[in-house]
Amino acid sequence: MNPLLKQILAARRIAHWQFDADLNIVARDRLAKTMPSLGNEPGGSLLAAFPELVGSEDALMAVIRGERKDLRLEYVNRNATDGDPSYWHLMVLADRATDGGILLAEEVSKLARLQQAYNQQRYEHVLLRQHAALRGRFLMDSILGDSPAICDLRDKIKTLSKVPTATVLLLGESGTGKNLTARVIHHSAMPPDAPLVEINCGALPDNLIEAELFGVEKGAFTHATASRVGLLEEAAGGSIFLDEIGELPLNLQAKLLSALESKTIRRLGSNRAIRVNVRIIAATNRDLQAEVAAQRFREDLFYRLNVVSLTMPPLRTLGEDILTIAHHLLAVFNMEFKKKVDAFTAAAEEKLRHYHWPGNVRELSNCIERAMIFAQGTAIDAPELILSEGIRVAAESVNDWSVPADGIDLDTVERQLILSALERAGRNKSKAARLLGLSRDTLRYRLEKYNIT
Amino acid sequence: MIPKAKSIGKSHPVALSICSFLQISQSGAMFCFMIAIKKKICLLGTFAVGKTSTVERFVYSRFNERYLTTIGVRVSQKLMPPMAVPGNSAKVQVNLLIWDIAAMDRFDAVVENYYRGAAGAIALGDLTRPDSFGQLAEICSRFRSINPEAALVIVGNKSDLQPPNADTAVEIDQLAQQFGAPAFTTSAKSGENVDAVFSRLVREMGAPV
Ligand SMILES: Nc1nc2c(ncn2[C@@H]2O[C@H](COP(=O)(O)OP(=O)(O)O)[C@@H](O)[C@H]2O)c(=O)[nH]1
Ligand SMILES: [Mg+2]
Repeated sequence: MNPLLKQILAARRIAHWQFDADLNIVARDRLAKTMPSLGNEPGGSLLAAFPELVGSEDALMAVIRGERKDLRLEYVNRNATDGDPSYWHLMVLADRATDGGILLAEEVSKLARLQQAYNQQRYEHVLLRQHAALRGRFLMDSILGDSPAICDLRDKIKTLSKVPTATVLLLGESGTGKNLTARVIHHSAMPPDAPLVEINCGALPDNLIEAELFGVEKGAFTHATASRVGLLEEAAGGSIFLDEIGELPLNLQAKLLSALESKTIRRLGSNRAIRVNVRIIAATNRDLQAEVAAQRFREDLFYRLNVVSLTMPPLRTLGEDILTIAHHLLAVFNMEFKKKVDAFTAAAEEKLRHYHWPGNVRELSNCIERAMIFAQGTAIDAPELILSEGIRVAAESVNDWSVPADGIDLDTVERQLILSALERAGRNKSKAARLLGLSRDTLRYRLEKYNIT
Repeated sequence: MIPKAKSIGKSHPVALSICSFLQISQSGAMFCFMIAIKKKICLLGTFAVGKTSTVERFVYSRFNERYLTTIGVRVSQKLMPPMAVPGNSAKVQVNLLIWDIAAMDRFDAVVENYYRGAAGAIALGDLTRPDSFGQLAEICSRFRSINPEAALVIVGNKSDLQPPNADTAVEIDQLAQQFGAPAFTTSAKSGENVDAVFSRLVREMGAPV
């Protein structure tokens, strides 16, 4: 091999091997030993030392014969003994002097690591986005049912996911799933690391809610010993879910509106304006238009929030979806309580279908949860589904009771009630206990007390 | 049929990379030929579908949840179980040279050099990302244009996360038909079907006859 070429290669830190026309290694330079390998000493086979060349024999021969200029492989990864990858560019050239060839190898680990870091970021970003979309789809599936009202709701959410900045107003009775819907809207439109902050405007006293929403600058009140970031600030770059917006006091309505319009907030006790970009998802079970008419809700805020409004359908209007949701809840509670209840009896289904569910999905969930706790068999029967309406009727009749003029023996009444509960429960003590709002043990104790067998 | 001796001649030294050696058969009484053949196969697919994980599972029986983008190419080797050669007393053992190739943004000479001389390929899509199959059709076409005779197996990976759905099942089916390839769903995480995919590919390559 040309001595000048050898010098140049050494100066550029390029390792080289010489091989003959039978593809056996005949020589190598000192640098060649630095390449992690299975052994690439002279005398060995080139293809055993460089398995990367297996399959390219034709091309190799073409290079040796001068029919092809070179053969290159970029970024060949060889794990070093310490486990760290090292990367090499390989190039095969003809060696006129020997009728064989030269294989050049240049270590490019630094370059590869840069490229690795770059690609890693790029691909992870795409992956996160795709997984967010996927999660949005999964979440969408968590809105159960096929009734026209539910399909319509899903369609609207899908449309909304394409306008990630639009303000959304969720309307509907309590327990219809406004919370879940807000989450689906957020996740289907935002990158996975975007924050979603939730606050119930009816759950906090006025002075606290202001501090919660806007934050506090240290020293704003005597007891404000540290600055605190408000929820609107925390939600920057994501969404804030303002539940029960109808409960927000009028002065805060004005402050919220101005924050929305200017896209800036000021912490309590501070004059510094902080820019926040937040998607607003608000919800209420009140008739906001009526609230506006009654001057309990600011008209301008109403219009600012009512850009897109979704009305959640009440459970009683969903027909067969009631059963779909009920079965889903059954599966959920089976997992939670480690039970194997897998059905409702026909009578139970009938009861679920015909009740008017004033508390919507939340009430259905409570009702099934209660039934599951006491369930013994593998199916839930109608009497096990205790509906709030039933309870309400009972409460009314209790109020009607009064002590007769000549007095009453309380023990006799209690004994009578227990007997009646047992009868109604078909002598099943657990069920009777439930009808009386007693634990099994308490009931057993009273049965003994009143000598009931 | 055993590859002919002329393949090992000087004019074409290692066209089939054959090293044959004598080995005592299990019966102990008889000598028979054991022929080891090196075969190059490639893993194809866009980024993060599980190419590296599939190799790690198959060759090293391990799995890593963390995603580390592959750069360039890494060749791993795995010796397949010996196979009988029909009508011959010799046995053949395939030494797979498995090319785990980084996802490429474009098809150029670099990619062509990676694909050259492969006897087969496993083309993977990610069952949780339906669009990863859309990109496979083009990748497979490029691969076939460089290796027209190469065998292909289509794989939907990450079955532990998601079974094929209406979208992905159709995509996989279409790819299988377009390239005349068998299709599998696998999980590099659980190991489900991973060995089966490689065995099937070796059979599809028809080695050594
Ligand atoms: N759950 C699961 N994750 C997998 C599977 N295969 C790969 N992964 C993960 O998917 C990501 C990308 O895998 P990788 O093998 O690096 O993909 P490549 O870019 O095609 O080589 C990694 O985080 C792996 O842990 C699988 O079968 N199941
Ligand atoms: Mg990889």
